[in-house]
Amino acid sequence: MHKEILLVEDNPDDVELTRLAFDEAKIANRLVVMGDGAEALDYLLREGTHADRAEGNPAVILLDLKLPKVNGLEVLKAVRGTAGLKSIPVVMLTSSQTESDVVQSYELGVNAYVVKPVEFKQFVTAIADLGVFWAVLNEPPPGSLRAARRYE
Amino acid sequence: MPLHSMSLPLPPSNAPKAGDDRFRLAMTASNIGMAIVSTDGIWLEVNPALCAMLGYRVDELRGRHYSEVTHPDDLAISQHLVAALVSGALASVDEHKRYVHRDGSDVWVQLNVAVMRDEDGTAQYFISHMRDIRGEREAGMALSARAEERSAELDASHRQLQLFADAVAHDLRAPLRSIESFSALLHERAAERLNETDRDYLARIRAAASRMTGLLAALTELSHVTRTQMRIAPVDLSLLADWVGAELQDADPHHRAQISVQPGLQVEGDERLLKLMLNQLMHNAWKFTCERSAARHAAGQASAPSAPSADEPEPVRIEVFGERSGDRLVLSVRDQGTGFDMRYAHKLFEPFQRLHGPDQGGGHGLGLAIAWRIAERHRGQLRAHSQPDLGSTFTVELPVVSAGEDTPNA
Repeated sequence: MHKEILLVEDNPDDVELTRLAFDEAKIANRLVVMGDGAEALDYLLREGTHADRAEGNPAVILLDLKLPKVNGLEVLKAVRGTAGLKSIPVVMLTSSQTESDVVQSYELGVNAYVVKPVEFKQFVTAIADLGVFWAVLNEPPPGSLRAARRYE
Repeated sequence: MPLHSMSLPLPPSNAPKAGDDRFRLAMTASNIGMAIVSTDGIWLEVNPALCAMLGYRVDELRGRHYSEVTHPDDLAISQHLVAALVSGALASVDEHKRYVHRDGSDVWVQLNVAVMRDEDGTAQYFISHMRDIRGEREAGMALSARAEERSAELDASHRQLQLFADAVAHDLRAPLRSIESFSALLHERAAERLNETDRDYLARIRAAASRMTGLLAALTELSHVTRTQMRIAPVDLSLLADWVGAELQDADPHHRAQISVQPGLQVEGDERLLKLMLNQLMHNAWKFTCERSAARHAAGQASAPSAPSADEPEPVRIEVFGERSGDRLVLSVRDQGTGFDMRYAHKLFEPFQRLHGPDQGGGHGLGLAIAWRIAERHRGQLRAHSQPDLGSTFTVELPVVSAGEDTPNA
């Protein structure tokens, strides 16, 4: 249970609700939160203020579309374009149902696209289901923190 | 007396005869271009108006062949018309034609040509009238350009409005989620610690948030229905209606469904949108029927003969049927619910208009707007007819599957 989940989200309410949802679903993974796309990339690439972070990729990235500085699609593009990062599962979590956003995301190689429900109960269920699948059930690509430990 | 049946004397280049002077005067004074043309196409006489129109002097045009000043694109048809006039296939010509001005510009005219024949019926010469229509054409083109501009402007402003509405709806979701979620969490965590009034206030917040959620969902649906690309294919409406009926019963087992759907209702359209439309119409039918039966029950009225006991509500009767009319199917959804006042029927399909308050089962007022938009995208118009307390019938005309398919039972 050492896999990290990276949440890239600028809305503090949604961050709090996501934490609550993970708690309710008893998902024990560490939740790392980045508030904008630039910081998220620094974290993933272990640059800037995150240069000293331990090696290893998160099990999954929960990515919002609308982010300050570098938006979700740009983060996705960067992740898919970087050798050490490109196989990290990415789930787009967004308020947008705009067809062009969905199409673009899939064209850039997103694994899943989930529209954040407005109703709390549905939100919790959606987040919990995502967490359970991607962080617990799914076997992450090698290079994720859990996998790194396993082969140590 | 039509010109072409008169037998006029030979052109004025011969010795003048009585009556010639008046004709020559008329020709000279006219401000419509005129020419007397030989059957070979030579301009024997031209009037000042014609010369001015084309930018030449009289002596420069007289004796010229019409083809020398005819626009090359109109040459072939001119030759054809001349031949037809000579042979008698055509009695006269009344056409738009382009000549070429001395300066090279196009001169659009309304050309009228009459044939002068001798006693034997042989064509002798033509009398041509050329009315300058350049001004008219420019005005006409300006008008239609302006109309196209206006239409494009309207389209653009329509799209802008839709984009604005979409953006607003989109941006409202996150704060709405916050209100809805944290008030629900508050209720979970603190309800016991709150007094009755506090709980009531909290409940009102949650109810309002819930209404907003429904409204936002409907707005999103309306936008989607307006913008999505339609996938046209044969659609089995009977199947869809049965499906919607089953869903309605599942969602409300407390009421007994009596939904009769005419079999074989085949149309051509977008299946997803048509199911959505049926959903709206049948959901309304269900809702307002339950409302009515609840109202009657509350008023202590004797239950209908079909209700087995006083406690069990009346069954919900909805009929879905169709009738062929030319190349369309007139689909009807009928209920025996609350109905509405026909005086306000025209407001029924406008977004946000409600004819029933929340106590009478009224919703957010977008459901019928959505149904109406779907009908419109299928080039049919949604109509409603009702009698208060007796029920309503909604009809829409839909395109029928092209030839080769079975026609529904009338």
